[in-house]
Amino acid sequence: MRTLAAFALSTAAIAWATPTMAEPLRIGIIESLSGSQTSTGRLYAAAVQYGVDLINANGGFNGEPIEVIEYDNAGGSTGAADKFRQAVADGVHIVFQGASSAVAGQITEDVRRHNIRNPGSEVMFINVGAEAMSLTGEQCHFYHFRYATTAPMRVNALVNAMAAAGELGTRVFSINQNYSWGQDMQAAIEAAAAAGGYEVVEAVLHDVNTIQDFAPFVARINAADPDTVITGNWSNDLLLLMKAASEAGLDVRFGTTFLDQPGNIANAGDTALGHYLANNYVPAAGDPAFAEAYAAAVGHVPVFVEPPTIFAVGALGLALADVDFAGGEIDVTEIAKALEGVTYESPVGPISVRAEDHQTIRPVVVSRVARGTQYPVDDTDLGFEPVSVVAGPDAIYPVQASCEMERPD
Amino acid sequence: MRTPLIIAAVLVALAAVPPFLGLGLQNALVNVLIASLFALAFNLLIGQAGLLSFGHAAYFGVGAFATLHLMRIIEDGVIDFPTPLLPLAGAVAGLVVGAIAGFFATMRSGVYFALVTLAIAELFHALAPRWQGLFGGEAGLSSMRMPWGGITFGSTLQVYYLTLGWVAISIWVLWAYTRTPFGRLTLALRDNEQRVRFLGYNAHATKVIVFAVSAMFSGIAGALQATSNEVANYSLFSSHVSAQVVLYTFVGGSIVFFGPLLGAAIFTLFAYLISDLTRSWLLYQGLIFVLVMLYAPAGIGGIVQTHARHWQRLDWSRLAGPYALGGLGGGLVAAAVVFLTESLGVLFDEAYAVARRGAGGGYPPFEAFGIPWDPLSPVTWGVPLALFVVGLVLLLRARRAIAERWDAVRSAPAVPAAGPGPDARTASTQQIAG
Repeated sequence: MRTLAAFALSTAAIAWATPTMAEPLRIGIIESLSGSQTSTGRLYAAAVQYGVDLINANGGFNGEPIEVIEYDNAGGSTGAADKFRQAVADGVHIVFQGASSAVAGQITEDVRRHNIRNPGSEVMFINVGAEAMSLTGEQCHFYHFRYATTAPMRVNALVNAMAAAGELGTRVFSINQNYSWGQDMQAAIEAAAAAGGYEVVEAVLHDVNTIQDFAPFVARINAADPDTVITGNWSNDLLLLMKAASEAGLDVRFGTTFLDQPGNIANAGDTALGHYLANNYVPAAGDPAFAEAYAAAVGHVPVFVEPPTIFAVGALGLALADVDFAGGEIDVTEIAKALEGVTYESPVGPISVRAEDHQTIRPVVVSRVARGTQYPVDDTDLGFEPVSVVAGPDAIYPVQASCEMERPD
Repeated sequence: MRTPLIIAAVLVALAAVPPFLGLGLQNALVNVLIASLFALAFNLLIGQAGLLSFGHAAYFGVGAFATLHLMRIIEDGVIDFPTPLLPLAGAVAGLVVGAIAGFFATMRSGVYFALVTLAIAELFHALAPRWQGLFGGEAGLSSMRMPWGGITFGSTLQVYYLTLGWVAISIWVLWAYTRTPFGRLTLALRDNEQRVRFLGYNAHATKVIVFAVSAMFSGIAGALQATSNEVANYSLFSSHVSAQVVLYTFVGGSIVFFGPLLGAAIFTLFAYLISDLTRSWLLYQGLIFVLVMLYAPAGIGGIVQTHARHWQRLDWSRLAGPYALGGLGGGLVAAAVVFLTESLGVLFDEAYAVARRGAGGGYPPFEAFGIPWDPLSPVTWGVPLALFVVGLVLLLRARRAIAERWDAVRSAPAVPAAGPGPDARTASTQQIAG
């Protein structure tokens, strides 16, 4: 009798509770939040949180504030696979990640398999920084969106802007890290040669973040006598390369893609002066209101991977405004379809999704390291001075033939 | 007599409980099982043969990649292969690669052996991201478990049972191996290789076989992970994976057969429970390792075994007090350390710098454990410091009392031990808890 009463009571409680409990949208960030790559992982997490706070300040979604859950992938794809399953167990609808193409490769496959096995409770992956071409190539699928640039976008913008400024020259040296990103960069540098009016005098691939002394590479650069060195190197590989070049008194321009990683300018100092950077955004470009608002909330102007992440969450916010589940169950497929149609106005230009491969068509900002800029970085007197903003349609490349996307009905 | 009962109880629990657990815990248990098998396979080398390998990630990874290749062939419909037997690919690959690598590594022992194994793992780690065809570049290989025999193998629970079956059988085989004459020879090799050679055995060949068997079971562990994750990439070969299994084994206790299993289970669950709560979880993991190495070099398994061995002679009415005291002291010290670590983490975070700017450069209260604390108040730092000191004093007193009582137990006339297993080295002579 007592169990029956308890049962009736609990049923009543559930019946009473259900109508008031709308399903909150859950966003999972699967990043490296411990270990050597923590600093970058933190930037992604902070930027997602900031973007979601903005949406929540406007009433959230589905009648509830959007929940953000952080997962530490411990720096590797095995950890990411693990945390993806945890995220699914926690009811996460949308996964954000960006710091590593290897991890993104794992997550995008996990998402694809999850969606095949669990029709009706799909999960979506918003990639905010993993730039490997394969993610929108042979690995592409409907539930993966890349809100970041890729190697050809960065290189094309860099080459055009440097040529327009008369600083590119006709001899380009390509030096990159020997893995997919570096190989993509090298391919992009070689592909842009005809349009940029230069010759690739030498293309070098080297080990990733293990080289302590770049002097031998600098000697090769010196021997090839280039006007410009274009490199996709990041972290130590960029820093040590630039230092070795400056110590050897090499007189070349560097065209880079990750010079804005926090700490790089502080480490490089005046060595960095006059070098170029192609990325998603620098605070001195476009409407300063965006940078100021972020600085007021977080304590610094958005740098490195933060701007593209905030843009992605902003675009997601627009997509959410287009769908309405009336407080009921959330259908991720509807959100994904809405996101395809969204154009987000970033401070440097519109960002939209290309339906064929879910790569975003987005502006690329080319800037130059200069003294006395409006937004100095790393507590130095150096900063990034915008040279040109290449509009999305000019920076984009054709859809890769390897992408065969199956769309849901 | 008691042991088979305990094992049966654990097995029944492992088989019966998971359907009632959440997806997250089911997945964590899959990881526990895989880590346990990996640690036991590793311990075949260090615990049984006395060979410390710093590169076991190589065989774990090779097993994973072999399985992935098999899964891809099955997915393409080239051959029809039962999904539950997928880990066989890992076993074969582990055995073959282990035999080749072992042939070279075991030519030397001690530090040189460790360095060769490290080098072999690094070789794979450097090679894998370049060899696009075999290892899939840095994105790795990816596939999907195919349904077989009416089972979809889609849910975590089905993967769990597949893993449980393989791990249980593998552990049984590993245990049975230690009982064979060849297993005994392995032990002799650890204790005195010279003597083994004079007895007419080929020490090198023996070590190669042990190495290959260890690599084979590591390969099965890797295969199970590949089956579970459905992806393998070069990071499986990283020194982190090799270090992790050393950690499991030594914290669990390498001289006890089931010790590494304990270590693997504890650390995997620790990572599952703590890694999303605090960013300092690796620090805590490191602290645990250092403390175990300093004060219980035989590992957690060693402590358990010492207690089991002397069970009949233990006077719990006299031991319970000091143990409770030690637990309290340890708890106080741990609480103080966690508080200080987390508070410093909050204070040095950028969010706090923003809060300071908002407070005009002052030191506003910070939040830790859901409670606001004043960073300038003596209470905030005085209380944890006091807890730390009190805890330390309690610990030292408890340690003395425990040591006294154990000395009494050990000096009592020995009762014939209950069947000396292969793991019956000298656990009783190893100190427990100091």
